[in-house]
Amino acid sequence: MGVISTDSPDSAAAAIARPAMARVPLARTVVFGAVALLLFLLVVLPFGWVLNNSFHDDLTGAWTLGNYARIFQSAELLEPLFNSLVLAVATAVIAVGIGVPLAWLVSRTDLPFRRTIRVLTLTAFVTPSFIGATGWILLAAPNSGWLNTLWRSLAGAEAGPLLNIYSMTGAIFICGIYTVPYSFTMVSSALDEMAVELEDAAATLGSGTLRTMLSITIPLVTPAVIASFILSFIQGLTLFGVPAFLLTPTGIPVVTTKLAEFYQLFPPEIYMAAAYCMPLLLVTAMLFWMRRRILGRKQFVTISGKSRAGRRIALGAARWPAFGAALLLPLVSVFLPYAALLLVSLTRAWGQGLSWENLSLHWYWWALFGNSETHTAIVNSLLFSTLAATLCVMLGTVVAYIVERRMVFGASLFGAVTTVPIIIPGIVMSVGFFAAYTRAPLNLYGTPLLLVAAFAATFLPIAYAHGGSILKGIGPELERAARSLGAGEGRTFLSITIPLMGGGLLSGWFLVFIPIIRELSVAVFLITPKTNVMTTLIYNAKDGGNYEAVCAMSVLLLLITLALVAAAGPLTRLTTVRRTSRKTGRKTAPAEGVLPT
Amino acid sequence: MMEFSRRRLLQTGGLVGTALVTGGLAGTAFSRIASAADDPLYAAAKKEGALTLYWGSYEQQTMEAIRDAFKAKYPGIEVNLLRQASQTVYTRLRMELQSGVHECDSLGTTNMLHYTELKKIGALAPFEPVDGVHIPDAFRTLDPDKMFHVGAISLTSINYAPGKVQTPPASWQALLEDQWQGKITTGSPAFSGDVANWVVAIRRKYGDDFLRAFGKQKPKVGQSNVDTVTDILAGERVVGSGAPFSYTLTQKAAGNPIDVVAPADDAILNLGVTGILAKAPHPNAARLFTNFLYSTEVSMILQKNYWPTLRKDVPWAEGRSLDQLKWTRNTGDDLGPEVAEGIAKWKELVR
Repeated sequence: MGVISTDSPDSAAAAIARPAMARVPLARTVVFGAVALLLFLLVVLPFGWVLNNSFHDDLTGAWTLGNYARIFQSAELLEPLFNSLVLAVATAVIAVGIGVPLAWLVSRTDLPFRRTIRVLTLTAFVTPSFIGATGWILLAAPNSGWLNTLWRSLAGAEAGPLLNIYSMTGAIFICGIYTVPYSFTMVSSALDEMAVELEDAAATLGSGTLRTMLSITIPLVTPAVIASFILSFIQGLTLFGVPAFLLTPTGIPVVTTKLAEFYQLFPPEIYMAAAYCMPLLLVTAMLFWMRRRILGRKQFVTISGKSRAGRRIALGAARWPAFGAALLLPLVSVFLPYAALLLVSLTRAWGQGLSWENLSLHWYWWALFGNSETHTAIVNSLLFSTLAATLCVMLGTVVAYIVERRMVFGASLFGAVTTVPIIIPGIVMSVGFFAAYTRAPLNLYGTPLLLVAAFAATFLPIAYAHGGSILKGIGPELERAARSLGAGEGRTFLSITIPLMGGGLLSGWFLVFIPIIRELSVAVFLITPKTNVMTTLIYNAKDGGNYEAVCAMSVLLLLITLALVAAAGPLTRLTTVRRTSRKTGRKTAPAEGVLPT
Repeated sequence: MMEFSRRRLLQTGGLVGTALVTGGLAGTAFSRIASAADDPLYAAAKKEGALTLYWGSYEQQTMEAIRDAFKAKYPGIEVNLLRQASQTVYTRLRMELQSGVHECDSLGTTNMLHYTELKKIGALAPFEPVDGVHIPDAFRTLDPDKMFHVGAISLTSINYAPGKVQTPPASWQALLEDQWQGKITTGSPAFSGDVANWVVAIRRKYGDDFLRAFGKQKPKVGQSNVDTVTDILAGERVVGSGAPFSYTLTQKAAGNPIDVVAPADDAILNLGVTGILAKAPHPNAARLFTNFLYSTEVSMILQKNYWPTLRKDVPWAEGRSLDQLKWTRNTGDDLGPEVAEGIAKWKELVR
């Protein structure tokens, strides 16, 4: 049976922590010291450079507050800030509005083809949003979009366009649908880790499905929902490709396109760009503060190490309509845009249109064998993403544990530091890392380590938020039991907490790995010819107007990543079986993991 | 019919020219490779063993072909090619120089201002490439101190969809006719150096009234001028302004329905520039490469990819040449403020 507690586990955790400090001060010091050092190197140092830059004048290099003054005095610089906020709020509303019900349907109901829906949602996640935007340009550009062409053939040649992807609505739509997987994965992970017997208890006491959901399920996943809202908001704020492709043609500036302009100017205004990020940081800091205010000390502990049932809510007559609704997201984020990309990638010259003569595998051959750089880029992308995701999840989870269990005085500072990088747009982060690591004694410029570090730092907040939302659901009683039996802090963490986090941890790894492998702007100033990655190759091809190659390489990137995710299926199953067996003390059927199995 | 004949004639001329040059090249190939081995510069470069190019002019495909040809001719020198947008490459180099990092040997971008600034801060090394004598006369001496040289020639023109446009606009002024309202695609001067260069030229030619009228045509504004090609191939718009001449021809050659017009009121010529860094880690390899850029091999690669060649004696694709076109180039001691003002005016009048 699980327990629900509205008391903070902190006091218990603190009680666990105190004797440990006396017993193993050295080990404790080493662990906290290592975490603090890593956070310093990955976050404080690069961010410190960004902050430092923001107070300098681009022309003279002198200290100044002029960059900040310029932001608030110029309508031209305020307008993008406002537009970015609109885009971010709308993105978060869409992501949570679709992602949360979808997660509930997949995790908690007898929705048909649940695993397929998971796979397809993950497929949307694998897609870099700038590639999704490219697919949608092919579909919904006002004059040439294939959906609009279809519409005109039905409604008449004089009919106006049905859809216009070059608009704020279009950008919100694209940012929203490609951010849904964040909220979906975070919330479904929380739902999977939650004790189902609480819902059973409510049902036994006479609550209907709706009431159970409102009074039990929703409050239990609130931390994950709020965390995913914030992450989605930040996505909307920091994405570059989508606004660059969809909003620039209509003259709607947002912060990221404005930042790109600062770097494109002659001479570039790098210091001004640093200052221009700071308002975003303030907005996000406010969001995190609000999260603390909303959640307060209310934490719902639902995993106590005891068995749990796997009952699913029967949707009844709503089963198939719900399945239809659940397919809408994959339809708009995967099927339609990838069909468009696939068609273009299979044409020798796409301007010639679709005909048998024009169909060719030429661009796939070119990407795989004709272009010497693709192999290196594929290997680099996989290697860097794997290393960075592993480092990111390890550090993020440890920090989340320190913060959730209040292991040290000022633990929340660790959390705050860990959260900083995600709000720094990739290109600025790139410059921060450049500034921090092109100098002695940490001269890592040109090395793969620099990219791994930058990728890990950028997505550290996701690993931390994800780890935190899992930990919030795990009661400290088992840890306490282990400690009272003489296990040290480290052993307790490794043998009790980590196995309890189980599949959620693996889903966290993918939650970080996938955005890393599709990340573009962080790499811009850090790659060298030897450390080139897939996304930079794709972007260069797009920059050169080679759309057939862009589409072929995008499809390849998708397939490679999906193959990797699919290969992880058995691993997820193993983890889940092991965890379930350990908790129940008997062999059970594997529960569904967060990832497709 | 007459036009067809003229085109055929030009094509034939181009083919004959190409054949002659190829024949000449084949004839001298062995002697060139043999002489490469005796070249003291090659020997010195080989000792350095590597070359790092930061290159923003030419698209990836052309630049890779040039790199591969260099490696084939000069074995033993590993070439690290970083091909990104010109301004990205320059911003990166500037940050490297600020941090005391010296990775880049040879820089190639489409913005002359980069080189005037680098020269000002003493970041460039003088070098006079032997084969530089073959550069078209108009561009042979960009810098009296030989700190930088022409690295690419690009033309900005008008492109269009032949199947959808019977009579394409023949001049920049013609773009302002009512019939093109809502039908034009262009790049943004804030993102594209070529479009910024076009804005400067058009303001010099026609003043801000042109931009005002151009804004009323409701053009679709992408980022790079390459986006005009994409829009036309997609069918989103039918006419491109400030469009890339060479890349449009490459797409046409690939079988895509697109063509190019050299405007009667001058195509805008923009020079890509190249220079060797004063603290280049492989200075001899950089010199060897700069000289190689003016070789017949490279100009043949440029011809194949529809770029204007860098040698007088190698014709462009389809027999085109600089002499057949009406073109203009923005010159002046300090174009910086004019570019900035052009971008600001664009935002005000076109957006």
